[in-house]
Amino acid sequence: MIKLEEVTKVYKGDVVALRNASVDINKGEFVYLVGKSGSGKSTFLRLLNKEERPTRGRIFVAGKDIGELSSWKVPLLRRNIGCVFQDFKLLPNKTVSENVAFALEVIGRPRQVIKAQVPAILDLVGLGNKAENFPDELSGGEQQRVSIARAFVNRPLILLADEPTGNLDPATSVGIMRLLDRINKTGTTVVMATHDRNIVDTMRRRVIELDHGEVIRDQARGVYE
Amino acid sequence: MPIKVDYVARETVTNLKRNFTITLASVLTVFVSLFLVGFALMLRQGVEKATQRWQGGIEFIVFMNPNASPDQLQAVRSKLENSPDTEKFTFVDQNAAYDEFKELFKDQPDLTENVGPDVLPPSFRVVPREKAAAAVEEMSTPFKTQPGVKEVVSATETTKLVQELSDKVTKGMGFVAIVLLSVAVLLILNTIRMAMFSRRREIEVMKLVGATNSFIRVPFMLEGLFQGVVGAGLAVIALVVFLPFFERWLPPADQFPLFSGFVPGGPDMLITYLLVGGIGCLVGTLGAGVAVSRFLDV
Ligand SMILES: Nc1ncnc2c1ncn2[C@@H]1O[C@H](COP(=O)(O)OP(=O)(O)O)[C@@H](O)[C@H]1O
Ligand SMILES: [Mg+2]
Repeated sequence: MIKLEEVTKVYKGDVVALRNASVDINKGEFVYLVGKSGSGKSTFLRLLNKEERPTRGRIFVAGKDIGELSSWKVPLLRRNIGCVFQDFKLLPNKTVSENVAFALEVIGRPRQVIKAQVPAILDLVGLGNKAENFPDELSGGEQQRVSIARAFVNRPLILLADEPTGNLDPATSVGIMRLLDRINKTGTTVVMATHDRNIVDTMRRRVIELDHGEVIRDQARGVYE
Repeated sequence: MPIKVDYVARETVTNLKRNFTITLASVLTVFVSLFLVGFALMLRQGVEKATQRWQGGIEFIVFMNPNASPDQLQAVRSKLENSPDTEKFTFVDQNAAYDEFKELFKDQPDLTENVGPDVLPPSFRVVPREKAAAAVEEMSTPFKTQPGVKEVVSATETTKLVQELSDKVTKGMGFVAIVLLSVAVLLILNTIRMAMFSRRREIEVMKLVGATNSFIRVPFMLEGLFQGVVGAGLAVIALVVFLPFFERWLPPADQFPLFSGFVPGGPDMLITYLLVGGIGCLVGTLGAGVAVSRFLDV
């Protein structure tokens, strides 16, 4: 599903964020991306949806070399990749259901589809009763659920999560991890960057560790360190 | 790609509301500059029409009798051809003279209906090498006594003055208009940039969930176009309202025959309006286009 072939990313100023990384992730896998701050986790994720381009190497998503993708096809790639972030990236002037609907609206989904799918996904993430609330009326955990709903409402093949529990307390984090696990069980490939030792050690999954942009460990059912 | 009309309309309106004052500034700038463009064009058309016979350096006209014989015409022609003082000249026959007459007096059908080509004088319009008044006088005088010549008319000082003045005024206005139009493009660019800045969160989300580039851009392009079009619309309205005043300011036709038919009308003004509208669209699209392509990449 995701394949990196000797990928190197050098930012301007000669910052090497990823060095010769080769990784193969199968469909339906759940992968933790761990490493210290600045080790290249976010860069890894941003390369997958072509927010950044690799300096060297090739990246395949769903069998296609995304380096060869013409720029007008990038949006189509992104429709197959949901993204979740530490800071949620919700629109403060839209309600919960409007936030989720927005993601469907801007890719031209018909109104009936939106009307049917938004309440369904909000029920799935356990926010059916908060549909008309604004993000600032929700707790952090609830906001993250909204952002997961938005990322998943389009049923993407891949879900990328960049420290999704970074702003949440441990108890809330567990709820979010359960949700991600459920999404993973529907067949969605999940790649999650984190430095939450607790989570990695309790919900054991494949662990890829980065250090200064290098993949120094790739372990099935691994632990944080 | 299906673009949802209601979405685009909603977004455009929100953007316009959000930046009301700066939107107003751009619209007014477009308006003033296009009004100047329209006014300059109007003035130019009017003067050109009124001084039609005197375009292109023509300094004097030899009017022949309407019934002048071909020999008489030929005599004048060869005299002009052989004169070393002639730079060039054109011959206007009776039909051409009638066309000109109709154009000049098209607001007075009673006049044009009662006159036919046969009563109008054919004429030679002469561009002399030497433009100084004395030289023109010296060159034109001999034609007055030539057989078949009705009269010889020189460009009056008034005509020249009007031409020069209108030329300067038009150029001045054109210059100011170009400066203002550039300002308008920059203002629109800035409005759109601000709109994009205030919506950067939405734009970020749109990109993440895979909205196409055109989908993201269209509302901003429309916003720019809207400003240009509204400015142009105001300019056209102002020109329409202004036209009668413009006519009233002019000296009455009988006092200054030169000015009869001075005011442009009908198709000329339509072209002016279309041009004003076109420039408005262009300015809006240009401003928004630059903003969008510079500050909104994938
Ligand atoms: N847009 C960027 N421009 C320049 N340098 C960047 C950019 N993004 C990240 N970096 C640098 O690349 C390295 C890896 O960053 P990042 O991928 O964000 O790591 P992590 O997510 O693991 O903290 C860091 O040194 C960071 O400063
Ligand atoms: Mg990061």
